[in-house]
Amino acid sequence: MRRERLRVIQSRIAFVMSTLTALFGIFWLLFIIGDVLIHGIGALNINLFINDPAPVGVEGGGLRNAFVGHLLITIFATLMGVPIGVLGGTFLAEYARDRGISRFISVLSDIMVSVPAIVVGTFVYALLVKPLGHFSGWAGSVALAIIMIPVVLRTTENMLSLVPWTVREAAFALGAPYYKVIIQVVYRGAATGIFTGILLSIARVTGEAAPLLFTSFNNAFFSINMKEPIASLTVSIFQYAMGPYDSWHAQAWAAAFMITLFILVITILGRLIIKWRYRR
Amino acid sequence: MTGSIEIDVKGLDFYYAGNIHALKRINFPIYKNSVTALIGPSGCGKTTLLRCFNRMHDLYPNNRYEGEIIFQGTNVLSRDIDVIDLRSRIGMVFQKPTPFPMTIFDNIAYGLRLRGMRKRAELSETVERVLKRAAVWDEVKDKLNVSAYELSGGQQQRLCIARALAVKPEVLLFDEPTSALDPISTAKIEELAINLKKEITIIIVTHNMQQAARMSDWTGFMMLGELIEFGRTDKIFTNPSEKLTEEYITGRFG
Repeated sequence: MRRERLRVIQSRIAFVMSTLTALFGIFWLLFIIGDVLIHGIGALNINLFINDPAPVGVEGGGLRNAFVGHLLITIFATLMGVPIGVLGGTFLAEYARDRGISRFISVLSDIMVSVPAIVVGTFVYALLVKPLGHFSGWAGSVALAIIMIPVVLRTTENMLSLVPWTVREAAFALGAPYYKVIIQVVYRGAATGIFTGILLSIARVTGEAAPLLFTSFNNAFFSINMKEPIASLTVSIFQYAMGPYDSWHAQAWAAAFMITLFILVITILGRLIIKWRYRR
Repeated sequence: MTGSIEIDVKGLDFYYAGNIHALKRINFPIYKNSVTALIGPSGCGKTTLLRCFNRMHDLYPNNRYEGEIIFQGTNVLSRDIDVIDLRSRIGMVFQKPTPFPMTIFDNIAYGLRLRGMRKRAELSETVERVLKRAAVWDEVKDKLNVSAYELSGGQQQRLCIARALAVKPEVLLFDEPTSALDPISTAKIEELAINLKKEITIIIVTHNMQQAARMSDWTGFMMLGELIEFGRTDKIFTNPSEKLTEEYITGRFG
């Protein structure tokens, strides 16, 4: 009897503690998102999207250059990171599945997922910026691609290993060579999962400022030249938020709101695809 | 009634990676247009033996065959055999249904496209013919463009048989094809297999002795990697020569 009471008390303590910590975390999350919403929506206006930054004191400056630059950096990062990630994941799940090297690379990329983004930024700085003598959009894309690769690689690997082995054997038994089995059967079975992983990895890098600070840096003018420094939303937010002018702060809020919205949409899209695919 | 020999297994030894001796000195014939059942307790090597006929063991490193499996005059274990060609002549149906993640039509068309058939009309004609042959056409004819995952387990298994039939195999290997199915689906598949033997030769691995007795003309009883006894099914089940066979058949072990 006494022992049972003790168990009930222990259970209640655990319940209260875990609820409180969850609420604590959710509170700050909602606080941040709410803050971005309140300040961001108020600061939104059409100039933000169609104008480039104006000199301080001049009305109507925008962040068109940063929107375009950010888009370019992200697109090229995706074009670099996704093929490497998907092919690497394919190697791990298919060709090297029984080898020690596969486990080793998996663990390594799990570690890479949690490497601070700024470390990746300084790495690319040493690799591309310093030797070439200047910041560039390419360096920014490479930094983001490096952050994407382990995410895409691990999702691809996991999604491929979810395709039952017997399905591959069935394709082999029909006389298909391995590369056709992978492309025509296995990829088809894992397609939605891999696609979701790609979406989530894009969402992951879109909000990064640290790796871009050391690589693509910033540019106060409109530029689509990836060989030169190029503006990005996250670095602009960083710079504007640190600046002394209210108009800068307002634009930083608006940009923060837009990025948050973008990530939210992509994440929800990813979740919806998973749900839609695995509902059956 | 004894037809010509389609496949002749001669002194077959098989080793899994790590030198595990899984099949020992196997000798027996497979007769054309007959059903041959392989029975025996779990781990006796019947599935291992079945997977030698279409060289499925090649998919995993360091497996080794010794001896010969003569199929229409050539040794399928020889190094210079075209495994892809072999696998279209000796098809396989697995224990669990293995539909591909695509539509019913594409599932059947997969093996055909692999062999270069591109014309839609030709594909449609073959898809219809083999689905009818596998007794699943009436159930799927209105949903050929639906994912094969939408079908029931029994339908999926008949779809897989149809898929194997589409590439016109001469031999079909069944690896416990009904162990994951209900009795009604099982009956349909048994009936189908018996019908198929008019055109092709069938080898079936089964855990279900009644199934072996119902379906097969010839039966091989295996234990610990050896073929203990091979003979006509009625003889194996009513008057086996080996004591081990009799003990297994009567349910004393296994």
